Amino acid sequence: MDRTLKSISLLLSYPTRELQEAMPEIGGVLASDSRLTAAMRRDLRPLVEAIQGGDIFELEEQYVMLFDRSRTLSLNLFEHVHGESRDRGGAMVSLIETYRDAGFEPVTSELPDHLPVLLEFLSTRPFAEVQDTLADAAHILDALRERLVRRESLYVSAFAALSQLAGVTADSAAVAELLEEPEVDPDDLEALDAVWEESEVRFGPDPNAGCPQVRDMLSKMDEPTNPAPNVAAE
Amino acid sequence: MSHLLDRLNFLQSKELEQFSNGHGQVTRENRDWEDTYRNRWRHDKVVRSTHGVNCTGSCSWKIYVKSGIVTWETQQTDYPRTRPDLPNHEPRGCARGASYSWYLYSANRVKNPLVRGKLMRVWRRMRETMGPIEAWTALQDDPILRASYVETRGKGGFVRATWDEATEITAAANAYTAKTYGPDRVFGFSPIPAMSMVSYAAGSRYLSLLGGVCMSFYDWYCDLPPASPMTWGEQTDVPESADWYNAGYLLLWGSNVPQTRTPDAHFYTEARYRGTKSAVICPDYSEAAKFGDVWLNAKQGTDAALAMAFGHVILREFHLDHQAEYFEEYTRKYSDFPMLVKLEEKGGSLIPGRFLRADDLDGKLGEENNPEWKTVALDEVSGELVAPNGSIGYRWGEDGEWNLEEKAAEAETKLNMSLVLDGDHDEVAGVDFPYFGGVATEHFSTGDERPNVLTRNIPVKVIETADGPVKVATVFDLFCANYGLDRGLGGDWVAKDYGDDVPGTPAWAEKITGVSADKITHVAREFAQNAEKTNGKSMIIIGAAMNHWYHMDMNYRGVINMLVMCGCVGQSGGGWAHYVGQEKLRPQTGWLPLAFGLDWGRPPRQMNSTSAWYAHTDQWRYETLEADEILSPTAPEGDWDINMIDYNIRAERMGWLPSAPQLKTNPLEVARKAKASKKEAAAYVADQLKSGKLEMSCEDPDAPENWPRNLFVWRSNLLGSSGKGHEYFLKHLLGTDHGVMGKDLGEEGRQLPKEAKWHEDAPRGKLDLLVTIDFRMSTTAVYSDIVLPTASWYEKNDLNTSDMHPFIHPLQAAVDPAYESKSDWEIFKAIAKKLQEIVPGYLGEETDLVAMPILHDTPGELAQDVVMDWKKDECDLIPGKTAPNFITVERDYGAIYDRFVALGPLMDKLGNGGKGIGWKTKHEVQHLRELNGVWEDGPAKGCAKIETDIDAAEVVLMLAPETNGEVAVKAWSALSEATGLDHTHLAKPKEDEKIRFRDIAAQPRKIISSPTWSGIESEEVCYNAGYTNVHELIPWRTLTGRQQLYQDHLWMRAFGEGFMSYRPPVDLKTVNPEVQDAEDTLVLNFITPHQKWGIHSTYSDNLLMLTLNRGGPVIWISENDAKTAGIVDNDWVELYNTNGALTARAVVSQRMKDGTTFMYHAQEKIVNTPGSEKTGNRGGIHNSVTRTTLKPTHMIGGYAQQSYGFNYYGTVGANRDEFVVVRKMRKVDWLDQPADNKESAQ
Repeated sequence: MDRTLKSISLLLSYPTRELQEAMPEIGGVLASDSRLTAAMRRDLRPLVEAIQGGDIFELEEQYVMLFDRSRTLSLNLFEHVHGESRDRGGAMVSLIETYRDAGFEPVTSELPDHLPVLLEFLSTRPFAEVQDTLADAAHILDALRERLVRRESLYVSAFAALSQLAGVTADSAAVAELLEEPEVDPDDLEALDAVWEESEVRFGPDPNAGCPQVRDMLSKMDEPTNPAPNVAAE
Repeated sequence: MSHLLDRLNFLQSKELEQFSNGHGQVTRENRDWEDTYRNRWRHDKVVRSTHGVNCTGSCSWKIYVKSGIVTWETQQTDYPRTRPDLPNHEPRGCARGASYSWYLYSANRVKNPLVRGKLMRVWRRMRETMGPIEAWTALQDDPILRASYVETRGKGGFVRATWDEATEITAAANAYTAKTYGPDRVFGFSPIPAMSMVSYAAGSRYLSLLGGVCMSFYDWYCDLPPASPMTWGEQTDVPESADWYNAGYLLLWGSNVPQTRTPDAHFYTEARYRGTKSAVICPDYSEAAKFGDVWLNAKQGTDAALAMAFGHVILREFHLDHQAEYFEEYTRKYSDFPMLVKLEEKGGSLIPGRFLRADDLDGKLGEENNPEWKTVALDEVSGELVAPNGSIGYRWGEDGEWNLEEKAAEAETKLNMSLVLDGDHDEVAGVDFPYFGGVATEHFSTGDERPNVLTRNIPVKVIETADGPVKVATVFDLFCANYGLDRGLGGDWVAKDYGDDVPGTPAWAEKITGVSADKITHVAREFAQNAEKTNGKSMIIIGAAMNHWYHMDMNYRGVINMLVMCGCVGQSGGGWAHYVGQEKLRPQTGWLPLAFGLDWGRPPRQMNSTSAWYAHTDQWRYETLEADEILSPTAPEGDWDINMIDYNIRAERMGWLPSAPQLKTNPLEVARKAKASKKEAAAYVADQLKSGKLEMSCEDPDAPENWPRNLFVWRSNLLGSSGKGHEYFLKHLLGTDHGVMGKDLGEEGRQLPKEAKWHEDAPRGKLDLLVTIDFRMSTTAVYSDIVLPTASWYEKNDLNTSDMHPFIHPLQAAVDPAYESKSDWEIFKAIAKKLQEIVPGYLGEETDLVAMPILHDTPGELAQDVVMDWKKDECDLIPGKTAPNFITVERDYGAIYDRFVALGPLMDKLGNGGKGIGWKTKHEVQHLRELNGVWEDGPAKGCAKIETDIDAAEVVLMLAPETNGEVAVKAWSALSEATGLDHTHLAKPKEDEKIRFRDIAAQPRKIISSPTWSGIESEEVCYNAGYTNVHELIPWRTLTGRQQLYQDHLWMRAFGEGFMSYRPPVDLKTVNPEVQDAEDTLVLNFITPHQKWGIHSTYSDNLLMLTLNRGGPVIWISENDAKTAGIVDNDWVELYNTNGALTARAVVSQRMKDGTTFMYHAQEKIVNTPGSEKTGNRGGIHNSVTRTTLKPTHMIGGYAQQSYGFNYYGTVGANRDEFVVVRKMRKVDWLDQPADNKESAQ
C-alpha cells in the first residue's frame, strides 16, 4: 500500500480523536517520502501539527464549514466536473465499476467520487496508474488548492502534495475555467455577474447572415397580408 | 470508431441474405460499436417514485438506477386511461421535477447528523460524568452554557455527530421538557402530509405518543380559505384538473396555471381547443393572462369589489329582471337564500341579526331535539313557517332527517326565497349595511366619501316569537340589497343602472379596480349565461394570491357567491377550484390513526400555528392593527376594544381555538393532583381555573413556563419559506441576530393588551432545542441546533396524493439513502427508541391532561349558540361546552418505541371514522396482523407490526375507505343512517377492491368514492366538490345544512362580515418616518407569488433552476416604478420596513403593474444574498418584511361549521397588505468574513 496516498486520504478525512492520535505516524510517513520535495514536506508539517494538536471541535467545525458546507470546496470531485448535471450519475457508475474491477467493494456511506475514497483506492494501485488518475484530476485539485489559498486554510498543502505526486502541471486554462465557475460562497463578484448575464434572445436564424433564402422568407413574413384587426373599439 | 479493419471495402460476401424484395440485407460485420450507445443508456432497474414536495403535482416518475446510483428520471406514462372524449392525464411532470435526480448527489445535501459545535463541546464534557437527561438538565440550568449555543444560531459552527449521539441529545431534551414543563412544550412542525404522508406520520406519531404538539400548516401558510369552512363546513374540496375540460366557461382568478400547475395546464389548453371560453383576472401580465379571451387587470387587493360587481350583474339579469329557472331551483334547494334572518334594533335602526331558529317560536315547530340549531323558512306549500330538513340540529341526536330533501317534519315543502311580492311582506323597512369602501389607505383610496353605514329598503315580515313580534327577512332579499340592487322598493344606495356609481355596480367597481365597467358586465353576463345553458358548467380557478390578503374572506366569498347564484357548485365542469397547499390527503381516515397515535391514546394535541407563532415569536408585541380599524359601524354592543392577542386568548378560553402549551402548570402534574383530589379530571381543572389556581398558558406567552422548549421541523423550511415575521422568529424564538427595526407596543406607548400579561422586557431565545430534519441545508437547518440528514424522494417508501387528480401513487426507495441519511420513519423510530432507553427511573407510565377545543364534525359543535365568557361570569365554566374539554390520556414513556412500531388496541376497541361518522374496523386490523405480522410479546403484544415505512403505508391503505372498498361501503352505510338515504351504491361495485402498496408501485390507482369527500370517482363524471351534496342530497356541514352565504355568528356581524362586501387592504403601518430614510421615496405593495424555478416552495437552491432564473433572489418591479428610484434591470436593491429588510436583484418588467413588487416565494438566503445596509445582517428572505396579523372572525368556535378543526378553521397568516420601501443599493457587501471577525472589526 502506498502509505503516502493513504496518509493524504486520512488528512482529508473528517477529523476525529483517533485521527489526532495517528497524526505522529502520518506525519512520519509524509516527512519521509522522497517523491515529495523537501519544501513540500516542510509545507505539510503545519497541517499535520494543526490536526494533531488542535481543539477537536474547532477542527471539526472548520472541516464541516469547508468541505461539507461549501459547494466550491466539495471533496466530491464530480461536483466540479458535472455539477448537478445528468452526466454525474453515469460518471459515478463508471468509477464504482473501476473499484469493483480492481476487486474492491465500497463499504462507505460516502459517494465513490469522494476524494479520500479515491485516494485510498489509489494507494492500492501501481504508481503509474496513480499518476495517470491524479493527472486527470489535476485541474480540479489545483482549483481546490487555489480556493483554499484564498481562505488561508492549512489544507492547501495536502492538495499541493497531490499535484506534486501527479507529476504534471495542470492545464492552466482548465484550472482557470474551473475557478471561473460560480462561487456559491460569494467570494468573487465578477464571476457571479458573469453567470447571471443573460444572452440576447434571438428568434430563428440570424436574418443578416447565412442563407439568403431565409432572409428573403423572413422579410416576406414582415409584410402583413391581412390588415390588423380593429382594436380601437375596445 | 471507423472499424476500417473490420469492414470489407471492395468485396461482398456471398453469404449475405436479402429480404423484402432486396430492400433489406442481413450483415455479419462487427457491431460492437453499438455497445457504446447501449451502455450510455443502460440501467439496472426503473423504479416508480415522485417528488414528495409541497406541490399539488403528484406526478409519477420513472427513476433509472445503475450500479446503485440514480442516473436520471423520466415521466411515467402509464396512468390509467380516462373515458372517451376526455383527454388523458398525461403527461405529468415539469422541468423542476426533471432536475431532481441531479440534486440527489448535490454538494448541498446534508451528509451526516450535524450538531452545533458549541453545544456538542458542552454535551460531550457533561456526558463524561453524567447520564443524558442529567446532562441536559445541567446544561439548561446554567444560563451561560445555554446562551453559548443559543446565541450562535445561524452563524455556522456545526460538527458531525453519530446518529446515536444526535438522537440521544434530542431524546434527553424531550424527556427533560416533558418532565419539567410538560410534554406540550415539545412542538413539531411539518406541512402538507399528502405529499409524503408516512414521513409526516413518523414525526406526528412520535409527538403524539409523547404528548407533544403537532402544528398546523394549511392555515399558517394562508392557503386555507376560511370562506370554505364558513360556506360549506368543509376545509377545502375542489374539482380535479381533468374537470376543467368539462367547463364551458373558465375564469382564472389570481391563479397562474401554466406557471404553478404545470402538469395540469394541458387540460386548460385542451379545454380551449374544445371551445371553452376563458377570462383571466390578475394584476400582472402573467403566463396565464395570454390564455384568456379577455384579461382583466384589476388592481391588486381589490378583487372583492370586482366580485361584487359581477354578482350585481348576475343578480340583476338572471335572478331579478329574468329568473333563470335552473338558478332559482338550485339556490332554493342548495343555498341559505330562503332562510329567515331576524332583524335586530340598534340605536333606532335595523341590522341583520341571527338566523331565526325553531327555538325562537312558540311550540318550537314541534322540534324537541336541538331546536336552537334548526333554522326556519317560509313554505309556499303550507304557507307556514317550517324548519327544513338538513340544518345542523338534525345532524346530531337524531337520525334520518339530516338531508336536503325538500321536506320539513316529513311534509313536502317549497321554500319561499323572496318576500318582495306585495302579498308576501308586511312592510318595507330600512336595514343598515356597513360600508368599508371609504376607509382605504392612501394606496387604495378612490376619494370615496360615502358614509360607513348604508341603509337599504328590505321587504320584511313580522312574526310572533316567544319574545314578542320580530321582523324577519329572507337571506335572498338581504343579499340583493347588499349588492345594491334596486327592486322597486325605493330608498337609497341601490341602482337600476350599471352606470350608477352606487356600491355594488360595475361603475363603482371600475373606480376601485381599474377594470372598465363594460368588461365587468360582459364577463359576468357570459359567465352566468353559460351556467344557465349548461346547468352550472362555469368554473373559477382561484389562486392563493387572493387568499393571502387580510380580508381574504371577502374575495373568496365574493367568488363563491357568484358560483352559488349560478348553480355551479357540485356540477361537473363547474365550481370553485382553489388549488393551494395540496390539502387533499385522500386516504385521510386511514392515515389519521397512524399519524396521531389514535391507536394508543386519544385525543392528540394539535395546534393552529398562526396563533401559536404569533404568540411565541412575540409578533403580538408589535401589533399595530387595532380592533376599531376593522370593526363594523353596525357592530352590536360589546367590549370590542381589545388587542388581537386578547381576542385569541378569549377564543382559547371559550374552547374555540386550541392552546399550546395549554396550562401554565405541567399537565402531568395537574393530572396527578386531579387524581389525588378524587374528582373527575375535567371538573377538577374547571374548579382550579375558576378559582385562578390554574392559569391557561395563552394569558402569559412570555412567562418561561409557557415557552415552547423543543421544536422539530421536518419536511419543511419553516424559517426560510413560510415563517411570516421571519425576523421576529430570529429575535424572540431563536434569540439570535435579527433585523427587526420596529418598536413594541410598550416602547411606542400604544394601548397594551388587556388579557395578555405584558412583560417590560421581551424574552429572547425561548427554544432550548431546534431540531431540523432535511436532506438539504435549508435556511431553517442553518439556524438549528441539530440537523438530521433525511432520505430524499428516491430513497424512501411513502404515499402521495393530490387534489389535482384522483390517483394514489408511491414514493419508492430506488436506492439506499445517500451518505448517513435515513428515512423520516427510521429517524423518528430511532429517537423513540432512544427515549425509551433513557427514561426509566425518570418518566414512566404517566397520566397526561389534554385540553381540547370544541371540534367541528362532533356533537360538541352545537356548543354555543350565543357567545358567553365564563371568566366574565356570563356563564359557568362547563368543559366542552363553554370552555375547552379536559381529557386524560395515559402515556407510557418507557414503551414509546414499542407503541410507535405497533398498531395499538384502540382501533379494535373504538373503531375508526372521520367527518362526523364512525365505523368498526376490527376486520381491517386483523388483516393488518396477517399482512404485517404480530408482536409476540412486550407492551404491544398481539398488535400488528408497523416496523417499516411500507408497513406504515399498508396501515393507511387498509384502514382508509378510499383504498379499501369494504371500508368504503361501511362508511357510506354509516352516513346513510344519518341522512336516511341509501348512499352505499357509490362504493358497492368496488367492495372487493383493496389497494396495497405493491399495487400502486405497479401503477397509480384511482381511489374509491368515500363520504370523507364530497365528490365521487366514476366513469361518468370527473371528481368535483359538492357533487354528493347536490346529487345525493347530503347536507353541507353548516348551520343551515346548505351553502351558507350569510354568516350570523355575533363576531361575524360585529366585524361586518355577515354578508360579503369590498374591504380595502388594512394599514399595517410598517412604513413610517422613523424607519424610512428621507431620500427613499418608492413605496410598493409587497406580493409573494409562487415561482417557476423551484418546485412550489422547495429547493430554490438548485443550481440548474437558479441558472434559468437570475441565480439568486430577485424582485420584480414595473418600468415606471424603477425609473422613479433610478433602478435599472439587474441592479441590487434593498426592500425594507419596520419588520426587517431584504436584498435582491431587480427584474424590471412591463409585466408588472405600477405600485406593486413581486418577490417569488421561498428564495433562500443561503444563496447569493448580500448584506443589508439597513440592518447590517445578511439580507433576509421574503418574509423578512412581513409580520402576521390575526383576524378575530377566524377565531370563532363552538358554532356549527365555525368550530375548530386541525387545518380546518382558525387564524391564517395573511401577508399581502404589506408595503415596503424599495431603493437601489449603494454598496454590495457579501459579509464573507466569519461573524465573529466582523463583530470585532466593528
